[in-house]
Amino acid sequence: MESKIINMVERIRDSEDRKLQALFASAPIEDDGFSRRVMARVRRQILVQRFALPVAFVVGAAIAAKPVSQLIQALYALLKFIPQTLASNIGASPLAQVPQLSTIVLGGTLLMAVLMFGKLTRR
Amino acid sequence: MDDTFLVARVVAQQDAGAFGELVRRHQSQVRNFLRKLTRDVDAADDLAQEAFLHAWDRLHTYVGHGSFIGWLLKVAYTTFLQSKRKSKRYRDVLEQVAVEAGDPAHHSESSDISDLDKFLAVLTEEERAVMIMSYACGLSHREIGDATNQPVGTVKSIIFRGKQKIRDSFGIEDHKYG
Repeated sequence: MESKIINMVERIRDSEDRKLQALFASAPIEDDGFSRRVMARVRRQILVQRFALPVAFVVGAAIAAKPVSQLIQALYALLKFIPQTLASNIGASPLAQVPQLSTIVLGGTLLMAVLMFGKLTRR
Repeated sequence: MDDTFLVARVVAQQDAGAFGELVRRHQSQVRNFLRKLTRDVDAADDLAQEAFLHAWDRLHTYVGHGSFIGWLLKVAYTTFLQSKRKSKRYRDVLEQVAVEAGDPAHHSESSDISDLDKFLAVLTEEERAVMIMSYACGLSHREIGDATNQPVGTVKSIIFRGKQKIRDSFGIEDHKYG
């Protein structure tokens, strides 16, 4: 009720308002393919959104697969090794089997980049 | 089908067809708003495309309070504010208006600048947007307030100030425009 009264009050405009309205008035703009262009971009965006995350997951998984499997192997070896050698020889650690830090960082960075790209294209 | 129903379809089903209908319905008003705001047809149409893409992304935030066109113009206005290509045209118009004020002989040479251009040129960006929303798009003060994140009272005072500036700048008495 209150908003109806407010709208009515707003519609009662004085002659200055009417003149300004006439000054600001313009003919409707015809749809000269504008909505078609917008919809083409929207459909492209839908497509990107639909495929970005699965692709990012696959790429990230592919990059991370090798370092992760190496890490698991190294941890497994370490777990087997520690009880046997605690008493005797600590020097023969299988640390060489742990994947290079640079490989892990590279894989992680690429995974992050792909995920961020996916998120950006979604926006 | 009304706008709210189409919005619900887009949000619930990602229905691009329903969104296409919304674009077709409102493209004229959004483009007109941005053309008046930028006074540059190409830049305005680019911004309008961006605005509709933003609208597609944020459609779930429209909860049905106020008209859909009010919400859409809010998105368009935000897109305009975020754009780096703001209105070189207005700087040109402002310069030309200043020259004319000092030298009336220049007046005849600047026929490509409309009265609306001159009036809008004396307003700040915010005043321009509010005046356009009110007089060109016919939004209520409340809808303008929602679109510009201002209280209704502030919207009213911006409009009052805008009209006052136009009167003062062009020596208009008794509401003689145009």
